[in-house]
Amino acid sequence: MSVDTLPKARQRYRWREARIALLFVLPCLLLFIAFRFGPAVAGGVLSFTDYTIGADTNWIGLENLRRLNEDPLFWRALRTTLTIALLAVPLSILMSLGMALLVRRAFRGSKLFRSIFFLPVITSLVLAGIVFTWIFSEGGPWTSVMGWLGFADRAWLSDTTLVIPAIVIVAVWGRFGFGMLILLARLQDVPRELEEAALADGAGAWQRFRYIILPELKPALFFLAVIETTFSFQIFDTVYVMTGGGPANSSYVLVYQLYDQAFRYFDFGYASAIGLALFVMTFIVAMIQRLTLGRER
Amino acid sequence: MILPDSLIPWNLSMEAYDRVIGARSLLRWTLNTVIYSVVSVVGVLFFSSLAGYAFAKKRFPGKEVMFWSFIAMLMVPYHITVVPVFILISNAGGVNSYWGLILPTLANAQAVFLMRQFIKSLPDELFEAATVDGCSEWRMYVSIVVPLIKPILATLGVFVFLWHWNDFLWPLIIGQSNDMRTLTTGLASMNAENVPLNVVLAGSVVAFVPIFMAYLIGQRYFKEGVTMSGIKG
Repeated sequence: MSVDTLPKARQRYRWREARIALLFVLPCLLLFIAFRFGPAVAGGVLSFTDYTIGADTNWIGLENLRRLNEDPLFWRALRTTLTIALLAVPLSILMSLGMALLVRRAFRGSKLFRSIFFLPVITSLVLAGIVFTWIFSEGGPWTSVMGWLGFADRAWLSDTTLVIPAIVIVAVWGRFGFGMLILLARLQDVPRELEEAALADGAGAWQRFRYIILPELKPALFFLAVIETTFSFQIFDTVYVMTGGGPANSSYVLVYQLYDQAFRYFDFGYASAIGLALFVMTFIVAMIQRLTLGRER
Repeated sequence: MILPDSLIPWNLSMEAYDRVIGARSLLRWTLNTVIYSVVSVVGVLFFSSLAGYAFAKKRFPGKEVMFWSFIAMLMVPYHITVVPVFILISNAGGVNSYWGLILPTLANAQAVFLMRQFIKSLPDELFEAATVDGCSEWRMYVSIVVPLIKPILATLGVFVFLWHWNDFLWPLIIGQSNDMRTLTTGLASMNAENVPLNVVLAGSVVAFVPIFMAYLIGQRYFKEGVTMSGIKG
């Protein structure tokens, strides 16, 4: 019975029920006020102050934003973050798609492959970072293979240009298993008869993919694009472990700058301004998703 | 025939493990990680199931506003709140303490949302019958709600555990002393202090094995948990 069909008198709250319900919600509510709502507001407010440890706090208006605008390191971090997103998002989606198509039909060992491909998703990025540091190090496997293939065998993590693809590789490695599972779930909805009929009509693999599978996957691919973009904006663990933002700030990303400003220089106001920039970026991606999805319907 | 020593790397690798475990730190970090993960899982599951139940099956003033403001918090990136939360915890003396580490992570919007969705899908009759029987609300929660939500408790529990086990930024900020590090921040500190790579790698194995074993046993829950929440653990 929906609420509207109830007699008027019963629509009023039964106070015993309401009191107990509020009691049940209370712990969560308090936690949220202290650690989510409050801090979200405070984060916005802090970016207009010069809050630091052991000094008076002043309201400085747009000073932090002006500083951001004039801070070459911020623009560089922004550019690096966007570059990583631009490379990592399509790559991880392509990889997810490829792997999902590869393991979707049951064959000997297909289950094992799924499990193995998902393993990086549950692996700590710190551990991944440590292992990949070795893989990319001078004399490490990656460097040796690159050498054999005829490329310069320099260590990617100490190269100001190659450090970005190295970080992208680790990001993709850590994420593609997630996309693969999402896409696999959707692939199960592709009508089998349709595919078999297309096959009987002589449709090639590409045609079947393009006209039968892809339309079915479109919403899921879109969802992945948004979530992966948000993720790549927040890359931190691997950068912290593998490069520390270097060499020469060439892998210095936004969250790393936020961490640096807040916990190395204790410039909490400025760090909050960087947090605000991250929020705006995430918000823009969410809005693009909204608008595009709205048009699709 | 006598094999040359170099073909048998046991000496070298056993030594690496020994130095790690002998470092004592690793044990302490493992303990910290277990405390951080287990207490958080229990806390998150308990509080979010209580709230989720109320949001799903009870009527009370402010319900919609409260619920949707919880959900709105999913939109606010973690990094915008991390600085104010740190200031709050550090002013309250929570740096280098377990409560400082754990308490803020108990406000988990995703958990409340998933709990509410799951409990909402359960038929009202299950709860109404108990009310007629004169069951107290608390007993109803313990003996009716909890058994019914076991599947979501398992999935969500695995996900929250994984998230805490692998968490890095928050333990890095709060656990500043060597004794308060978790495995992730401890290994990162070893890595930064130029501890020989084989020692760090050995430590990494120790950190990875428990999660790997758990994954082997409960793969289904891991996959469900991670895909349901859409978040990297």
